[in-house]
Amino acid sequence: MEKSLKRAYRLLLLGAVAACTCVVQAAPPQQRFHQVHRAMGTEFTIDLYTSDEQTASQIAGEAFDEVDRIEALLSNYLPTSELSRISREAATGPVTTDPETFAFLDRSLHWSRESNGAFDITVGPLLRAWGFYFHGGRIPSEAELAALRSHLGWSNIALDPANRTVHFLNGQPMDLDPGSIGKGFAIDRVAALLRQQGISSAFLSAGGSTLYAIGAPPGQAGWPVNVPDPAHPGSTVSTILLKDQSLSTGACTEKFFIQNGHRYCHIFNPLTMRPVEGMLQTSVIDPSATDSDALSTVGFVLTPEASTRFFADRPNTRVLLLAQNSGCLAIHWPGNPCNQPSSQSSQDHPHD
Amino acid sequence: MTDRQPDRRVFLQGLSALSAISAMSLANPLAAQSPSEAEAARQTAPATDKTPIRLGIIGPGSRGQELVRSFLRVPGVKITAAADVYPARFAQLNHVCGYEVPSHHDFRALLDRKDLDAVVIATPLGLHGQHVLPALESGHHVYGEKTLAYTVEDAQKIVAATAEHKRIFQIGHQYRYSPWIRAAIARVQQGEIGEVTHISGYWHRNNDWRRPVPDPSLERLINWRLYREWSLGLIAELGSHHMDIANWVFGATPIAAIASGSIASYHDGRETDDNVQVVLSYPEGRRFIFTSMTNNSKMGDQLWLYGTKGSLNLTLEDATFFYEPRRIAPAAPDANGVTTSASYRPGGEMPYRGPGKPVEITTAEDPTTVATRAFIHCVRTGTQPIATAQVGLGSALGVINAHAARMAHKEIAIQT
Repeated sequence: MEKSLKRAYRLLLLGAVAACTCVVQAAPPQQRFHQVHRAMGTEFTIDLYTSDEQTASQIAGEAFDEVDRIEALLSNYLPTSELSRISREAATGPVTTDPETFAFLDRSLHWSRESNGAFDITVGPLLRAWGFYFHGGRIPSEAELAALRSHLGWSNIALDPANRTVHFLNGQPMDLDPGSIGKGFAIDRVAALLRQQGISSAFLSAGGSTLYAIGAPPGQAGWPVNVPDPAHPGSTVSTILLKDQSLSTGACTEKFFIQNGHRYCHIFNPLTMRPVEGMLQTSVIDPSATDSDALSTVGFVLTPEASTRFFADRPNTRVLLLAQNSGCLAIHWPGNPCNQPSSQSSQDHPHD
Repeated sequence: MTDRQPDRRVFLQGLSALSAISAMSLANPLAAQSPSEAEAARQTAPATDKTPIRLGIIGPGSRGQELVRSFLRVPGVKITAAADVYPARFAQLNHVCGYEVPSHHDFRALLDRKDLDAVVIATPLGLHGQHVLPALESGHHVYGEKTLAYTVEDAQKIVAATAEHKRIFQIGHQYRYSPWIRAAIARVQQGEIGEVTHISGYWHRNNDWRRPVPDPSLERLINWRLYREWSLGLIAELGSHHMDIANWVFGATPIAAIASGSIASYHDGRETDDNVQVVLSYPEGRRFIFTSMTNNSKMGDQLWLYGTKGSLNLTLEDATFFYEPRRIAPAAPDANGVTTSASYRPGGEMPYRGPGKPVEITTAEDPTTVATRAFIHCVRTGTQPIATAQVGLGSALGVINAHAARMAHKEIAIQT
C-alpha cells in the first residue's frame, strides 16, 4: 500500500503540474452535443458544449446516471426507492433517512408550509383515486374521497432534523408523490454535477416541463426558451433567454382526461381533493429547479389573487400564469407578455 | 491453506460462534454461508436500535458515497472518519453526509483511531487486501466492497483474519439481501423449477465505462477499473455479483473456469476488456455462463436459472418464474374420440414470449439499503452476516480464476 499510495500522490502532484501547464494553452473549440435519456416517466435531454464527442459522451453519461440515481431514490413507482420505504414505514415510528432524502422532504414541506398546503407531496392517493397513475381517468365518489382524507396532508409529516427522521403523525402509511418537485430536484443535482465537471455551457430538460440553463451557448446571452400560449396552440406567449436559471411549467395540456365534455387536470388542489379548475398553464423562473418545479404547482393551485400575494415578496422568482378565458398574470416576469399579442413576444433577460 | 488454519482445539475453546463458523469455512468456502431464514429476517428487519455506531470509510469514491448514503439510513450511524489519496473525495463526502468528516490521507491513520466501531472499505480491487487485512488486524469490523480480493491468497488471508481476530466481515454482495432474490431462491431450493443445472448471467451496458477525469495525470486513479494493476475488469466489477448468486444456488464454488474477452469498441488505451465471456464449471456437470458487453444494453443486467421444470429470471427489480410444459400428465379416457386435423405446430422450439409468474413480496427494498442495515445489526449484536468473508471467497474464486483463464487462453482448474 505504501508504494501504491506514493504512486497515487505522485499522480496527484503531476496533475497539479499539468494543470498549471494547461493555463497557458489555448482552449480547444467547443462543439455542441445532444443526448436523450428516459427516466422518471419522461424524457430527459442534455445539450452541452465540450471540446470533443468522447468528453461529451462521458459527461452526459454521468449526468444521466445521476438522474437514474435520483429516480431510484425518490420514485413512488419503485418499491425499492427510499421514498417508498418512508411511505411504508413512517406510520409506525420515526424512520431515519439519508441527508439527501431528508433535504428533499424538508424542501417539500417548506413549500407546503409557505403555500398553506397548495403544494403537497401527500397527494399520491388522490392521483390514484382519480385514475392518473394508470392513464385511465375516473371520478371517485365523495365517500371514496372522504375515506382518503386521513391518508393526506403534509402537516402529518414530522421531520426531526437532529435525528434525520421522518414520522407520519396520523399513524397511516402515506403515498408520497414527488411528481411536482422530483424532476426539479434531479435537474439541480445534475447541474451541480456538470459544474463540478467544469461544464460552463449546457441546457437540461426534464420532459420539457423543467428546464435549466448553465451559462449560455458560446457568443450568446442565454439559452432561448419559448413559453407556449396554451389558448392558441402553435403560438408563443413569451421568449426568454435563460442563463444560470431554471424554468418550470405546469399545464393541463399533457396529462388530463375528459368526461362528459369536462376536462379533468392532473394537478390537484390538495384542500378540495379535486383537480384544479380554470388554470391552463403556469411558468416559473427561479435559480433553483427544485423550487421552480414546486412553485409552478403553487401558482397553478392558488387563485390569481393569492398568487399575487404569495409571489409579491419573492422578487427572484418570476411567474407567468395563464388561465381560461384569456386570463394572464405576470409577476416579476420580464417584459409584458400579458399585454402583448402572442405573435409579438420579445426576448428578455431574466438574469440581468 | 491448511497451515493457516488455527489450532482447532484452541480455537473452539477460545472463540465465539462467529469465529468458529469462519474457521470451518476456511476449509470449505460454503460450509456456513447461509444463516437460517429467521436469522436473516432479524438482520434485514427495519432497525429500531439507535445505539451510536461510528464508521470510518476508506475510499469514499462513487460507490463509497453510495454506501454512506445507505449507512446513514440506519438509526445511530455517523461517519466519523474518512481516508483517501484523492483529496476531492472529502468535499464530496461532506456533501453526502451534511457535515464535515475528519479526513486522513493515509488509511493507517484512520485505522489508528480509537473512536470507530467499524470500517467501510470501498477502494479499488487491487488494494482490498492491503486495506482489509490491516483493518481486521487492528481490531475493526469491516464492510468490504466486492470482489473480496485481487488474489486468491489475499482472499484466503481475509477469511483467516476474520476468524483469528474475531471480527465481523461483510462482503458487498448486496443481492444476498434483495428481498425478491431471497424469496425466489428459497423457492428454487424447494424444487420449484426442478434441478437447476445451468445459470446464465448477462450484464450488458452501452457506455464506455469511463469516468470524466479532471486532469490526464489522474486517469489511472479515477479510471482504475480500466487498468489491470488494480482491476480484474468486467469479470470482477459486474460478474462477481452473478457468480455469487450461482454459488448460492448451486451450493458450491466453481471447480474450473474458462474465459474469453477482447476490446471490441473502446480502443482508448484501456487494458481491461470491454466484453467478456466466462464459463464456470460446478460439480455434477453444472455450468454458470456469464457475458458482459459495453456497447449494447439490450439484455441489461439479468440472470436466468434453468431447471428441469422451469426457469427463473432475476433482475435488479424483480424475479419471475416460467414453467416448462409438462412432459406427461394423467388423463381420463375421452369417450368422444379425437378429432383429426392437418395442423402442424412448430412452436415447441420457439422461445416462450408470454408472461411469467412474478414473485410476490410484501417489501421490495433496495438491496444495498438492506445490506448496510444488516451489517450494522451484526456489529451491534455480534452476529455472523449473511454475506460473510467466505461468501466473498466463493465468488472471488470464480472471478480470479476466470480472469486467469482469460489471460492464459485455457481452462483453469480451481483449487479450493
